[in-house]
Amino acid sequence: MNVKILIVDDDPIVLDSCKRVFEAEGFEVSFVPSADQALTAMENNAFDILLIDVKMPERDGMYLIRAVKKQWPEVPIVVMSGYPTPETIAEGLHLGAEEFIAKPFTPDELLKIVHEVLQKGEDHENKKSFGD
Amino acid sequence: MLGAVSLIVGGRLLYKAVLNEATNRIRLDLNTAREIYHNRIRGVEVVLDTTALGSGFRSELKMQDTSGLVNRLRRLARYGELDFAGIVTKEGTALCRIGPHHIPTKKTQVPNPIANLARRKRVSISGTVVLSRKFLLAENPGLADQAVIRLLPTPRAAPRAEGEETAGMALAAAIPVLEGTRLIGILYGGVLLNRNFSIVDQVRDTVFQQEIYKGRNIGTATIFFEDIRVSTNVLTPGKERAIGTRASKEVGEQVLQAGEKWTGRAFVVSDWYITAYEPITDIFGERVGMLYVGVLEAKYVDIRRKALSVFVLLTIAGIALAIGLGYFLQSVILRPVHRLIKASTEVSQGNFSPTVGPISSSEIGVLQKTFADMLTSLQERDRRLKAESEIKLLQSEKQASIGRLAAGVAHEINNPLTGVLTFTHMLLQRKDIKKDMRSDLEIIAQQTERVRKIVKNLLDFSRQTALNPELTAINQLVESVVSMMKNQALVKGIDLQCNLDEGLPLITLDANQIQSVLFNVLLNALDATQQDDTIAVTTGIGISGNAADPQGVEITVRDTGCGISAEHLDKLFDPFFSTKDVGQGTGLGLAISYGIVQHHGGTIWVQSEVGKGSTFTVWLPLGGVSSERKDTHR
Repeated sequence: MNVKILIVDDDPIVLDSCKRVFEAEGFEVSFVPSADQALTAMENNAFDILLIDVKMPERDGMYLIRAVKKQWPEVPIVVMSGYPTPETIAEGLHLGAEEFIAKPFTPDELLKIVHEVLQKGEDHENKKSFGD
Repeated sequence: MLGAVSLIVGGRLLYKAVLNEATNRIRLDLNTAREIYHNRIRGVEVVLDTTALGSGFRSELKMQDTSGLVNRLRRLARYGELDFAGIVTKEGTALCRIGPHHIPTKKTQVPNPIANLARRKRVSISGTVVLSRKFLLAENPGLADQAVIRLLPTPRAAPRAEGEETAGMALAAAIPVLEGTRLIGILYGGVLLNRNFSIVDQVRDTVFQQEIYKGRNIGTATIFFEDIRVSTNVLTPGKERAIGTRASKEVGEQVLQAGEKWTGRAFVVSDWYITAYEPITDIFGERVGMLYVGVLEAKYVDIRRKALSVFVLLTIAGIALAIGLGYFLQSVILRPVHRLIKASTEVSQGNFSPTVGPISSSEIGVLQKTFADMLTSLQERDRRLKAESEIKLLQSEKQASIGRLAAGVAHEINNPLTGVLTFTHMLLQRKDIKKDMRSDLEIIAQQTERVRKIVKNLLDFSRQTALNPELTAINQLVESVVSMMKNQALVKGIDLQCNLDEGLPLITLDANQIQSVLFNVLLNALDATQQDDTIAVTTGIGISGNAADPQGVEITVRDTGCGISAEHLDKLFDPFFSTKDVGQGTGLGLAISYGIVQHHGGTIWVQSEVGKGSTFTVWLPLGGVSSERKDTHR
């Protein structure tokens, strides 16, 4: 089953890097450079996971997390930042993001975190279905 | 004001005392005057007595030998200074006398009050007696004329109608001459007091010793017949004896009418005198006159004036002295003291260079000098503190600006780094690349990792991460860091010692951060030392010179390594300053440590000598990091 991932970052090199890593991993990758476009994409597609950068011009990552979690609370989110202060991490997690990753990262580090988040979601789903 | 009041009161008191003294004296003087008066009476009596006892006199009297008797009486009068003398028969008629009509006829018989009294009582009588003009005329018309006294108007005297007093007042004695129990005659004689000044002048000369004040006798004595001066040395304004003037009304009422003595101020003729009066009682026990002594009050007024002027002078001198003393106190003591007070107020308001004023030569000067010395050391301390805080401010400014720069740079670098890391690693994952290309790619990956670490350090430094304070045992913290370094020290052959003060209290601090500080310092020490060097870590109580809460704990790391040169010492805590080889250190370790210690309210400093070693000291306040400090710098 193809994992559908949406990457949101205003810096093309980050988008390129992530696209390269996840495509090599066999993911179905979508990417947008802003929060507003991310929300439009969310309206039109169902994603298995979101990778969101904090610092973006106009509406930032924190806004996006809040908006996504409000409308699609089941979609897991990984927050990334090039300025990983404890405050930023805490805020992201507080808003509902599942995990945080500091830039820069190696492909292995990125994949490890994303897989963990996906695994957790699956476990959760399984538990739920078993429970039903 | 006070001086004036004391002057008036003092002057009054003084005068009262003087007046009292004068009154007491005049009372004694009156006694003396009375004594003289009575002596004169006794004198008359003695002369008559002596005569009456003479046998010649007796036989002449028995034989009624008038011419012999008259001769004898005249001798007696001369000898006894008597104004009149005579003999009265046992029947009471005048037999003979010393006057011009020495053998009286029946027609010229005049009652003789004193002789009659003696004849009736058959004892010697002596004393004061009032003699009528008739009697005096009979005795001697000259005496009668002498007795006439024209009354002069006197201020303050009781009003009186008659313009003339013709009766005389005399001192007289009468001796009954007895033959067995048979009376054979009465011998009498006396002195007319009217215009006879011997007694009053004697009193004056005896009592007052002719003391002269402004051309006048100070002391005066008077014999009054009733209230009329009949014998006196009080002078009228025209410098004549004030015969015919009268006593003041008050005196007359008290002495003549009430029979009491008078002492005190009294108006005499034309002046105020300090006086004493007493009544004179005649042989019949009636008050017929007064005896007076007095001194011019003017003298005492003068004394008062003199005393007062002395008093005024003393007061003025006292005031002058007080002013002088006040000025002295003001200029020598108070002014410097006031200046010192002003100066200390200025100091308390933050001005450390107030003017103390000229240094006085007295003890105050010592105080001034001490104060000035204190000021100098305060100024010195202030200057040093300012310099220190300037350095501190500069240091934290430097840290803050570099922190901001680092944050911005790090943030921007991390995105491209993500690209570099990602694509390098993606390439490395490929199986089809050549071996040498792979090793090149690995170098890229490694160096990118290095960049990543630098950037992470930069971020750590800029972030000055929030504190997570908890009560911590400093010694345990130090021991854990030291034990982490033990192996490295052992490998390098360095003696790592630990001297811990067991009595240290717990301190609230972020253990992780302080640990990283110690770690950093110890790493530097390890880098600075070689085989056989020593690193000693010591803990203990330390007092800070310039903290609000000076009690604290000190951790010192002393090494015997290479030391730090003076120029490096200045930049030691600057971010990116490093003497280590490229790639060995980022130059942020001590800068971060500095920031951490500062956030704890502590200080970190270093002493070093090239070739001998360095000592790093971390001082942390005993009160620990305050909650306020926890919240800032997040």
